[in-house]
Amino acid sequence: MSDPALLSLAEARSVPPRELLQACRARIEQWQPRINAFIEVDENPRGGGVPLAHKDMFYRAGRVSSCGSKIRRDWVANETSAALERLDAAGFADLGRLNMSEFAYGPTGHNEHFGDCRNPWNPDYITGGSSSGSGAAVAARLVFGALGSDTGGSVRLPAAACGITGLKTTWGRVPLRGALPLSPSLDTIGPLARSAEDCAILLQAIAGDGGLQGKSEIRIALSSAWIERNAEPEVAAAVLAAAKTLDRNPVEVAPPDFDTLSAHCLVVMQAEASAQHAQWMRERPGDYSSAVRSRLEAGYAIPAASYLEVLRLRHAALERFCAQTLGVADVYVLPGIGVRVPTREETGSKGGERMPRMLADLTRLTRWVNYLGVPALVVPCGFDSRGLPLSLQLVGRPFSETLLLAAGRAYQRATDWHRRVPA
Amino acid sequence: MVTAKQWSAEAVEMVLAAQGIALAPGRAERLARAYQGLLEASAADPLLAGLEFDATPTGFLLAMQKCR
Repeated sequence: MSDPALLSLAEARSVPPRELLQACRARIEQWQPRINAFIEVDENPRGGGVPLAHKDMFYRAGRVSSCGSKIRRDWVANETSAALERLDAAGFADLGRLNMSEFAYGPTGHNEHFGDCRNPWNPDYITGGSSSGSGAAVAARLVFGALGSDTGGSVRLPAAACGITGLKTTWGRVPLRGALPLSPSLDTIGPLARSAEDCAILLQAIAGDGGLQGKSEIRIALSSAWIERNAEPEVAAAVLAAAKTLDRNPVEVAPPDFDTLSAHCLVVMQAEASAQHAQWMRERPGDYSSAVRSRLEAGYAIPAASYLEVLRLRHAALERFCAQTLGVADVYVLPGIGVRVPTREETGSKGGERMPRMLADLTRLTRWVNYLGVPALVVPCGFDSRGLPLSLQLVGRPFSETLLLAAGRAYQRATDWHRRVPA
Repeated sequence: MVTAKQWSAEAVEMVLAAQGIALAPGRAERLARAYQGLLEASAADPLLAGLEFDATPTGFLLAMQKCR
């Protein structure tokens, strides 16, 4: 292979870092005008190992961390996030700050302050958010991996829409210190990379343990009738085929109540995000985009009793999922996104009447996972008829990341979707 | 669980104003509808009927360990 930027992270570790940096810089120069994945490329990157870059919400002492916002456009952090400290200690280079949805509160990748991030497979389409730059930069092979955060799908949606692998970690698995908070009861940090194997390397660095759990047979559960009824046909066909690749005889189970669990997630997310932003919402509401301001307004009338009742119910919902959905299986599989990747126009501020429905469809299969606090891995499983990626989501028990990554690796050994590179 | 039937645009506007949050014109009505939908959807969970009096949010941490 002539371009070292196209190697996997695992392979890149044996290439001289200077060559990797040069190759990544050349690709950034070529791709950045087209996809707007970076907010800032560091002239003098920190560290000398395999190049990574991260969503601009992981603080680094002395460096600006805009959080994708106007409010923090020039804000300089006075501490370095725990996740970045661990990646530094593991010897990775940090090439710069990646684009993201404003304050990590949007599922599409639109950003009116820094410009929309655009999908490398077709810039008319969304990248997914809120870790939009992480998804786009890894997919276009500008860096070997990136950190994202996931409160309602923000690692998995960009991974799904950009055709890469993304891991939402178990709540509490990776320390949140020094990362922008959105909804602390739901916030998680996870890697986006080119394969499950690469995600495992990054997880090991940021979680202090991890890797890939060897298991001879991984039992898969799915709800194929629900998928056929509710997902778009191209999505359903790809996901059901992928499930068969993982397990010839998957267990059919009743689906979790995605919509009720998503509603619980939203109650928690809206209440906590609005509390987090209360001071700025009082003092400078005009500095938010209208979309984020609207989302934040929505949290101020959530009754405290409802919020706490939903949190009191969380343990029962988790126990039900593990006992019923995963009763005889290790992993529950479903689409990452139940619909095909939409365009930037139809999900943007001029998207019209259908826009709210489209946003709801986008997050329908991710939010419920955050309410349960469990880990989930998204891997690419095909392309639709327009050439946009399709994705498979694997959900496991708390702290089962290594098993999910092993399942992802097994799938990627049998397929080559993760090796496809946008031209 | 508090259901959303009592929410009106005026109620939403008042609750937000009491917290110092100013709403753009027309937003209160849309928010009232959204609250109604969201809180009703959340309240529809049959698990709520069996929620034990002693359950607290911290019980989730124990469940995470138990379900590993």
